[in-house]
Amino acid sequence: MQNRVRMLRKIQMVQFAVIDLNLYLNTHPRDRRALDEHNRLVAELDKLEEEYVQKYGILTAFSSSPAPWQWIDDPWPWEINYSR
Amino acid sequence: MDKRAQSTGIEFLNMRLARAYIPFQFYTDAFPLEEALQKGTLFPELYRPYVAGVCCG
Amino acid sequence: MWIYKKMLEYPADVERVDPLYASYLFAQFGGPDSELSAGLRYLSQAWTMPIPEGKATLISIGTEELAHWEIIGTLIYKLTKGVPATELAKLGAPGAHYVQHDRALYPHDASGVPWTAAYIQSIGDPVADLHEDMAAEEKARATYEHLIDMARDAKVIATLSFLREREIVHFQRFGETLDLLYEYIDKSAQKEPVEK
Repeated sequence: MQNRVRMLRKIQMVQFAVIDLNLYLNTHPRDRRALDEHNRLVAELDKLEEEYVQKYGILTAFSSSPAPWQWIDDPWPWEINYSR
Repeated sequence: MDKRAQSTGIEFLNMRLARAYIPFQFYTDAFPLEEALQKGTLFPELYRPYVAGVCCG
Repeated sequence: MWIYKKMLEYPADVERVDPLYASYLFAQFGGPDSELSAGLRYLSQAWTMPIPEGKATLISIGTEELAHWEIIGTLIYKLTKGVPATELAKLGAPGAHYVQHDRALYPHDASGVPWTAAYIQSIGDPVADLHEDMAAEEKARATYEHLIDMARDAKVIATLSFLREREIVHFQRFGETLDLLYEYIDKSAQKEPVEK
C-alpha cells in the first residue's frame, strides 16, 4: 500500500499543476510559456498514470481492465490513508 | 502589444465607472510541484495564506 | 459529460476522529456557500455564458468544485468513522445527524438545514452571474477561515488551507473573465448601439 500511496501522491502533485495551469490558460489562451508548461506536465502525468494503472488498477471506467472487472476494486479515494 | 495582449490577445482595457476590474495575472514563476499542491496554487503571486485574527482575507 | 477519476485532488487525511468538528464541516458540504453550491452554480451558468473564456472557466472551476465537495465529504467520513452512536449522542449536532442519516453523507449545512437550489443564482446576465460567482468565492473563503479558526487537527487544517487558497485562485479567474466580458460587451456595443 505504501508504494501505491506514494505513486498516487505523485500523480496528485503533477495533476494539480495541470489543473491550475488549465484555469490560467482559460483566461490566457495565448500565453505560450504557460501552454508549453501545461503540455509538458500533461505528458508527465500520462506517463505516471500509465505506470499506476498497470501496477494498481484503472483510474477511470474508460480504461480496459484485466479480468475480473477492476473498476469495483477497493480502496476508493476516501478509504485511503495518504500520510502512511 | 503589451504583456496582457500577448497572453490574452486583448489590446487594451477601457476602464469605466460602475464596473469592477481585477488586474490580469501574468505567469512568471511557478512553485515546485510538491509545494504548489501543499499551498493550493502553482503561482507565487496568487498565494495569500491565512493569518488568523487579521481582517480580512 | 463527466468522467469520475478514482482519486482525490488533494491527499485529505485526519489525525484522529472528531465527530463534532465533522458537523461543522457540513457548512462546506451542503451549506449556502458550500462546494456543492459552488459546483452547481458555475455549471448551471455555463450554458448562457457568451464568451469562450467564460464558458471554459465556468466548466473548469465548476468541475473542480465537485472534486472539492468530494474532499470535504472524505474529511467528514474520516472524522466520524467508527465512533459509537452513544458517543455521538453526547455531542448534539453529530447525534442529530445520526438519527436521520447514521454516518451517511447528506448535503445539509452545519446546523442540519438541507441544501436547496435557493442558495444559488443563475440569472442569465453574465455580468451579474460573474459577480455572484466572485462573491461566492469570497464567502467560501471566509467560511474556510472560520473553520480553520476552530480546528486543532493539523491534517484537517492543511486540507482546509488548500481549499481556501483555491477560492482565491478561482476569484482571480472569475475577475479576469469579467474583464474579458466587458471587452466583449464594449465591442458588441460599437457594432450596433441600442440604447434603452
